[in-house]
Amino acid sequence: MKDLLNRWLDGEFDAFERMPELQEGYDISLDRKHELERSAAERIESLPQTRQIAEKERKAFHLWYVIAAFACCLTLALVFLYMTAHITAYGRENPRAEAIADRYIERGTEETGAVNAVAGMILDYRAFDTLGESHVLFTALVVVMLMLKLDETNTRKDREDYYRVRFEKYYPTDKDPILRLAGTLQGSFILLFGIYILLNGHLGPGGGFSGGAVLGTGLIILASSLGDADIDHFLTEKRFRVFTASALIFYILAKGYVFFSGANGLDNHIPKGTPGAILSAGLILPLDIAVGVIVACTMFGFYSLFRRGGIGGDETDD
Amino acid sequence: MSEWICFWATAAALVAGLLFLTAGVLGNCRFGCAMNRLHAAGLGDTMGLMFTTVALAVSAPSVPVCAKLFLPLIFLWITSPVSTHFLSMVESRNMRESEKIWN
Repeated sequence: MKDLLNRWLDGEFDAFERMPELQEGYDISLDRKHELERSAAERIESLPQTRQIAEKERKAFHLWYVIAAFACCLTLALVFLYMTAHITAYGRENPRAEAIADRYIERGTEETGAVNAVAGMILDYRAFDTLGESHVLFTALVVVMLMLKLDETNTRKDREDYYRVRFEKYYPTDKDPILRLAGTLQGSFILLFGIYILLNGHLGPGGGFSGGAVLGTGLIILASSLGDADIDHFLTEKRFRVFTASALIFYILAKGYVFFSGANGLDNHIPKGTPGAILSAGLILPLDIAVGVIVACTMFGFYSLFRRGGIGGDETDD
Repeated sequence: MSEWICFWATAAALVAGLLFLTAGVLGNCRFGCAMNRLHAAGLGDTMGLMFTTVALAVSAPSVPVCAKLFLPLIFLWITSPVSTHFLSMVESRNMRESEKIWN
């Protein structure tokens, strides 16, 4: 046991992963395997040396944790207090904010090329904020994927297969011809409408977030009426990752280029076109498409992960 | 003269739609069996909505507005029967044998 502990402390193997001698034993039943793994981890944990080390580490970590927490809180409090001291009093006129709003309204079309002033604001003047919003969606998707995705380490395949039981018990709705026809009719029109909203963001009401939401809804309707297999043909997990990551990276690169090559007022080498034309407003249309792709992928990913624990045809879903 | 025809046509269609919608609401509240309730709910979504839309379309100011009014009608005429179909299918699969009066 001491030897085992020394090997663990040297980092030779991780007691909380599979034990080395268990790897070739395929004939051991799964419950027995879990029991052995658990008991190995517990055996190491219960040793007095382990407890001493853990206690020492805990104390050291606790000290630094308290210091770091105090430092962060103090810095944040000072920053916020400093900012509060400079805020205009409630009810007073705020000349700086009004100047910004006036400039957005008066010169927005001229400077961004977008007829829709909101699109000009969120995707040109304040595009960095929109980048953060896209990352919030992406982070939510990543966390849901971490928690709900069924893979080798997170599945009930060898125990009670909840999903298979459910699929066998209930009627397979995607075989129903009525639902298939209705889903095709509506889903295709909803997808078309979503693309229209997505491409119309700089000309009128619409844009990346609303268009992406409509696109995601269309995908969900198609997936639930035609069955998951039909959607998996074109939206595999690999393509899903490529879409999301390339949209985010394109956003970062395009907007980073604009920010560093000269922000508002300087020449940034991207033509603005005629306001009102479909190919106008510089980078707003591509950025709208990028945001729409991220929103649609997030919505469909949530649906798919919550429904069956995976995106695209994965191997656990047979 | 044509305004009065328009007005009375709108009024007649609205009243007809309201009748169907009232029948749907009443049936939804008063019927005991789930199948009968589904029938009543379907009445309001199809006939009631159609007469209401016709009433609005007759009094619409222009042809494009009139045409746009029928888009939600088409949408609901697709979704409502399909959802009714599925609800009734679930009900027929889950109801007791003694409740199946058509046997």
